[in-house]
Amino acid sequence: MKFLRRWKIQILLILAVVGPGFITANVDNDANGILTYSQAGAQFGYLLLWTMIPTTIALIVVQEMCARMGAVTGKGLSDLIREEYGLRITFLMMLGILITNFGNVVGEFVGIAGSMGLFGVPKYIAVPICAVIVWLIAVKGQYKSVEKVFLAASFFYVTYVVAGLLAKPAWIVAIKATMKPPSFSTFHGPYLYMVIGVVGTTIAPWMQFYLQSSIVEKGVTRRQYKASRWDVIVGCIFTDVVAWFIIVACAATLYVHDIRDIRDAADAAQSLGPLAGQWASLLFALGLFNASLFAASILPLSTAYTVCEGLGFESGVERKFSEAPVFYWLYTILIAAGAAVVMIPGLPLIKIAVFSQVVNGAVLPFVLIFMLLLINKKELMGEYVNKPLFNIIAWATTVIMIGLTVVYVYGQVRGTN
Amino acid sequence: MSTLALSELLGLTVYDSTGASSGRVHEVALAPQEDRSKISVLIVKTSSGNRLLPIGAVSAINGGVRASSALGDWVLADGAEGLLLLSRDLLDQQVIDVHGRKVVRVNDVDFHHDTGLGGPLLKVGGVDVGARGAVRRLLKGVVPASALRALLHRIPPREIPWDFVDIIETDPARRVKLKISHERLARLHPADIADIIEDLAPDEREAVFETLDEGVAADAMEELQPKVQKAVVESLDNDRAADIVEEMEPDAAADLLADLSEERTAEILVQMQPEERQEVTELLEFRENTAAGRMTTEYIALPVAATTSDAIDAMRSFEGRMENMSTIFLVDSRETLVGAVPLAKIVLAPHATPMLGLAQEPLISSHEDAHDKEFAELFDKYNLLTLPVIDHQNRLKGVITPDDVINMLRSKL
Repeated sequence: MKFLRRWKIQILLILAVVGPGFITANVDNDANGILTYSQAGAQFGYLLLWTMIPTTIALIVVQEMCARMGAVTGKGLSDLIREEYGLRITFLMMLGILITNFGNVVGEFVGIAGSMGLFGVPKYIAVPICAVIVWLIAVKGQYKSVEKVFLAASFFYVTYVVAGLLAKPAWIVAIKATMKPPSFSTFHGPYLYMVIGVVGTTIAPWMQFYLQSSIVEKGVTRRQYKASRWDVIVGCIFTDVVAWFIIVACAATLYVHDIRDIRDAADAAQSLGPLAGQWASLLFALGLFNASLFAASILPLSTAYTVCEGLGFESGVERKFSEAPVFYWLYTILIAAGAAVVMIPGLPLIKIAVFSQVVNGAVLPFVLIFMLLLINKKELMGEYVNKPLFNIIAWATTVIMIGLTVVYVYGQVRGTN
Repeated sequence: MSTLALSELLGLTVYDSTGASSGRVHEVALAPQEDRSKISVLIVKTSSGNRLLPIGAVSAINGGVRASSALGDWVLADGAEGLLLLSRDLLDQQVIDVHGRKVVRVNDVDFHHDTGLGGPLLKVGGVDVGARGAVRRLLKGVVPASALRALLHRIPPREIPWDFVDIIETDPARRVKLKISHERLARLHPADIADIIEDLAPDEREAVFETLDEGVAADAMEELQPKVQKAVVESLDNDRAADIVEEMEPDAAADLLADLSEERTAEILVQMQPEERQEVTELLEFRENTAAGRMTTEYIALPVAATTSDAIDAMRSFEGRMENMSTIFLVDSRETLVGAVPLAKIVLAPHATPMLGLAQEPLISSHEDAHDKEFAELFDKYNLLTLPVIDHQNRLKGVITPDDVINMLRSKL
């Protein structure tokens, strides 16, 4: 009996904290993610698959650090940066995050425009309506009730796994490409750009702020964080398995048919062809729409919270507009401007979405440096400071991302591709 | 009298009595044991380490700090025992604005600067939590000083007077040395205290709960969300937790303890006074979603023959809460519930009227096992202020008050 009870408590404990990590991981496969992975598969076939394993390990390490910091300090990442490094550094950091996240918000609206376009709804109608819906969801405090719908609809990602299996990819090649990076000569301009984009979309800077705040918001404490750790690990692996299959599905369909450049959502939808045939575009549109709307309801809100907390402005949807004006304005402008950009006629929307993820990849190391400095402070974390292995992995990620960005920018400046 | 900001003072060059530039202002410190608002020393970063420059040895502050003593006289600052370091402890940290009843982040600290006979006198006027302090710190050294000053004049200040600032210190030893208490916070309404506490990080919550007086802590605890309540009690040691739980309403205390592990509940119960422990233990045995799980055992019950004067005497000596006196109950020798008299009827009745004649008809009561929904319906149907709870032998066991019903309903929203 005692055993049964203990077992029951264990399950309850895990269920109680399953959430932040898994939700964050799900939002990670947003419109930007889907489009970037699709483009990666279409443009380079299996050549980017090797990034998945190291990226997953780095993602788990980085997300676990966030969860741990949230549980131990009970404070958000931007609060901690402010308290430990002062106003000036925080201000610059928040400015960078604001610009980076704005790019991501634009990407979500690209997803909305693309998916609704497949249903035959012009973006000039779909985007403004969805922008208002997203705005209302948060302002009316309905996010929590909508979250479950989004999560359930995330089941769509499984279609990519099935599509990947049905596309009859060259398994041996794919698996080999997952284990071993291509030869050094492959690392030229566009390929490098895509590597930064794939890492940037998988380990997005905003996720770290969002996850840590969610852990704090949920009231996860030191004692419970072991269970949160599993939540994080499971979420990260799920995300990256899906990412792997998206790349494989696109490599086996688009790449082999010489569609190397995804120009709109209809191109990307063809990757689901082996699974759904003529229904591919419908299925893709539904999935992309859900992913876009899900992330669009989280990103602007999370950004407004992050910035206001770091700079000491009142924040929170439970406050009135007059009590937290900066918070509401930031939130509103992010959505309105993000939607407005997408409505400019003739912009290469998919390219913009991928570019925003490359910016993510370039900004990531700065966030990582602060996280590493904070999590190794004894007076802050006590016995919960990073273990050497975690430090090595996180520092390596930081250095590699800086290196890739520098090499890419240098190559562009010199004009040698 | 003029004003000066901490960020303007930090980094200023310090000249010693010989006029030589000796270092820069690194910290500005108060000694709260002596004076809560007067600056007592500057910590100067010199080439030979950080040194303490007492404010008495400062002759002027005008674009630089001029000292009346020589660099050699300033003692080395090893550790800063008993000093509140404004830059480290206050700048960018969260403090409680007792007047505005919320948690705010400090952008700058403003001083009143007086040039007295014995040299300058610096007193903390308040903390800047608005855009003015933020802009000053962001642009200091980036734009010319005169342009910055002109810009800052246009920004309306948002300052919290020093008397309304409550500092949160998580280190208990330092709390004692710096005389940090939460007297002003304690004077707020418990519901406001609870709101503020919910905005703090776990360690800070613990720090506040350790310093508040038990009665205040208990009132605030009752107002916290159950999730936060549980986290706070788990962080306190058994002794302190027991002191606070003792002061809580027995029903609220029982609800709280029911959420903790059995071990922890037992540990806290053992530390409690026997009388309170028994009350809480009895309540703990009831299921949470029944009338018995919601009721409190603090009420006034009088014999059937009692008069209104007896009732008033009983109220005067009653130690429970005011709201628990809104109905006085009548019981017979076997504790059987016979009647309920609302407070208003007692007040309006002539002196020494027999209580039984004032009892409400019909007598509404609820059974111990009644489910949440049943007694909530009774409250709604009869517009009750209190609802007596009885056992199988019709003996009065406790009372449900409207706050219990509202709590229950809110938790289901």
